[in-house]
Amino acid sequence: MTHSPNTPAPWWTKKLDTSAPEDLTSDNEAFLQDMVEEKYSVDSPLKEGPWERADWTPRSVRCGLICRKIGVIPQWLNNGKKFYTTLLQVADNHVIRYTPPEINRERRRGSRTPNFGIQVVGADSADPRLFKAEYLGLFQEAGVMPKHHLSRFFVTRDAVIQPGTQLNAMHFSVGDFVDCQARTIDHGYQGVVKKWGMKGGPASHGATKFHRKMGATGGGGNMARIWPGKKMPGHMGNEWRILKGLKIWRINTKYNVLYVHGPCVPGPHHCYVRVMDTILPLRKRKGDGPKPPFPTWFADDYKDQEIPEEIFDESLHRFTASSIEFEEEK
Amino acid sequence: MTSVGSSRALTRYAANGSHKWFSSQSCLTNTEVRKQRNKAFVAEKKRQMSLITRVEKIKVEFKGHPEDTTLIMNRGLSTPYNCAMHMEELLRNRSALALVDGRPWDMHRPLVKDCELQFLHFQEQIPYLSNMVNKAFWRSGSFLLGYIMDRAFKDQYYVEPHSWPAPDIRSGSFICDIDLKMDNWTPNEEERNCLTRIGYNMLLSTSSKVFERLEVDASVAQDMFADNRFKLEQIPDIAAKSKSQNTVTVYKLDDHIDISGGPMIANSGLVGLFAVSAVHPIDTKFGRLHRVQGLALPTQLKIRSWTWKLLLERAAKYNATRLPGEVPSSDDNISGSQTIEQPFLPPSGASRPQEATT
Repeated sequence: MTHSPNTPAPWWTKKLDTSAPEDLTSDNEAFLQDMVEEKYSVDSPLKEGPWERADWTPRSVRCGLICRKIGVIPQWLNNGKKFYTTLLQVADNHVIRYTPPEINRERRRGSRTPNFGIQVVGADSADPRLFKAEYLGLFQEAGVMPKHHLSRFFVTRDAVIQPGTQLNAMHFSVGDFVDCQARTIDHGYQGVVKKWGMKGGPASHGATKFHRKMGATGGGGNMARIWPGKKMPGHMGNEWRILKGLKIWRINTKYNVLYVHGPCVPGPHHCYVRVMDTILPLRKRKGDGPKPPFPTWFADDYKDQEIPEEIFDESLHRFTASSIEFEEEK
Repeated sequence: MTSVGSSRALTRYAANGSHKWFSSQSCLTNTEVRKQRNKAFVAEKKRQMSLITRVEKIKVEFKGHPEDTTLIMNRGLSTPYNCAMHMEELLRNRSALALVDGRPWDMHRPLVKDCELQFLHFQEQIPYLSNMVNKAFWRSGSFLLGYIMDRAFKDQYYVEPHSWPAPDIRSGSFICDIDLKMDNWTPNEEERNCLTRIGYNMLLSTSSKVFERLEVDASVAQDMFADNRFKLEQIPDIAAKSKSQNTVTVYKLDDHIDISGGPMIANSGLVGLFAVSAVHPIDTKFGRLHRVQGLALPTQLKIRSWTWKLLLERAAKYNATRLPGEVPSSDDNISGSQTIEQPFLPPSGASRPQEATT
């Protein structure tokens, strides 16, 4: 049972500027907000020309998206079957950095992914005045607004995306299967019944102070002690879990929302979820099917085309679709 | 560099080979000039102190936080800072400027007669008071730039500060115009950081340096600034505009000495963020000079790194405030010590707000 801490490592850049708030007049405050808009509404002059795009192969591993889990709603198939879908909203994603495999290999000795590059993606732009200068420096290369949340995706060399690129829900298509990774709901310190599903004891019939306890701790004799890893009360939740092979049933392009199969995507409401192409062999994209947007979906390529607001899976029932039609027999 | 043979001992030259001035000393450096100037300042100060044989008392009416009081102080010796020492540590630490009979007054300038005293800090709410403090702060910033440029260069580069124009907050930076004896020196970011660091080394030193003020006769000033051709020209004009028609006001911070009219802030410890933002070459009637621009904020005013960077960008742009040689405005460091930058009577109806008791 892994429990990786949710605290920043000591060598990371310090993020939030928690010093005293700026004592500004309302005029100056308004001016600074205008300046923030002005600074970030223009494309950074540091950007070189667009990077070359490679072609997708079945062995390519694309970058993922950072989404927010915004809710769970039911959907219906055309045959009337009801199921639940989780709504994952792509939270203002921009690519921040790319580290090629050579550097990755050097820095992360003994890494299990030595042939992958690292793509850092940021979610949810924020006011630069909230952060320390060190943290703001991370976003200079990309020329984007500083983000609240950063995450890494391992990509193959051909799937590299240029820093500063915006990522959309259209990066995925309806009918794709994705893996959703997030930190589970933090339940805090919990007892064995909730945490490990132990039965505890009877509620009545004379049970004295034994309703939700663990009971025996071991076997005695040769075991001679409580074995490490014994299931006991302790902290439950706030762990990385990944749910694999979830189908995308529907995409809303206006609000950048993915409707992903099932109500069980880990994490509480409004948590960040990492969404990636699935690694499950039977649900992965094959070479014979349609190719995904590679390395990502670029809005500029579809400037002239009108993109529908909602894209549905074929078998999904649409409430706005017309009902049974009878043709008048003449 | 041409060899001048036996007259090398008499020639004072810069790295670019200009052989304009001659002196009996071997080679003029900023370090030497500074030493001599300091000696002269210290001697003059001692002499002026010795003139006070009998200590007379004056009544100082203090108004403000914590309470209105009357202090009995020494004429010609006690400063507003000494008055603050009698009252509260808060007044000592945060006061940037004093108001003596409604006029801006240096914190370490001796009081000369019965007067009314108030202290000003960096978060004054009344605009005409905060403007006063703001201008004193920017004037001190210009002085600091002179301090930095005087000691930033290697010995073979002799640097002569010219002057600085009146502080203009709207221009975005404070200025010091200097003769670097170079055609076009625009430092890159690293070099600008070096200059800023020299400033910070002084600002962050454990003993907070006080701005010492001294009124000297024009002849004493001429001796002090004998090695600066610009100051020698300016001193007669400055002295002529003073009350006694023979006085020049001189300020000393650490070991840098310069002429200035208006009040400076109390000490260097009040400066928080500081940066040398740019150096632009300018063409004046005195030849090619360099305009050094800087930006600073007092420790009392907190700001985020992003906002500071924004202000610094603005401060790096060329500041078009009047060039040396153009008609001066009422309040420059070369136009005399009796100028008043703001009317010192408050606008009718306005009253000094109650000071916070924290």
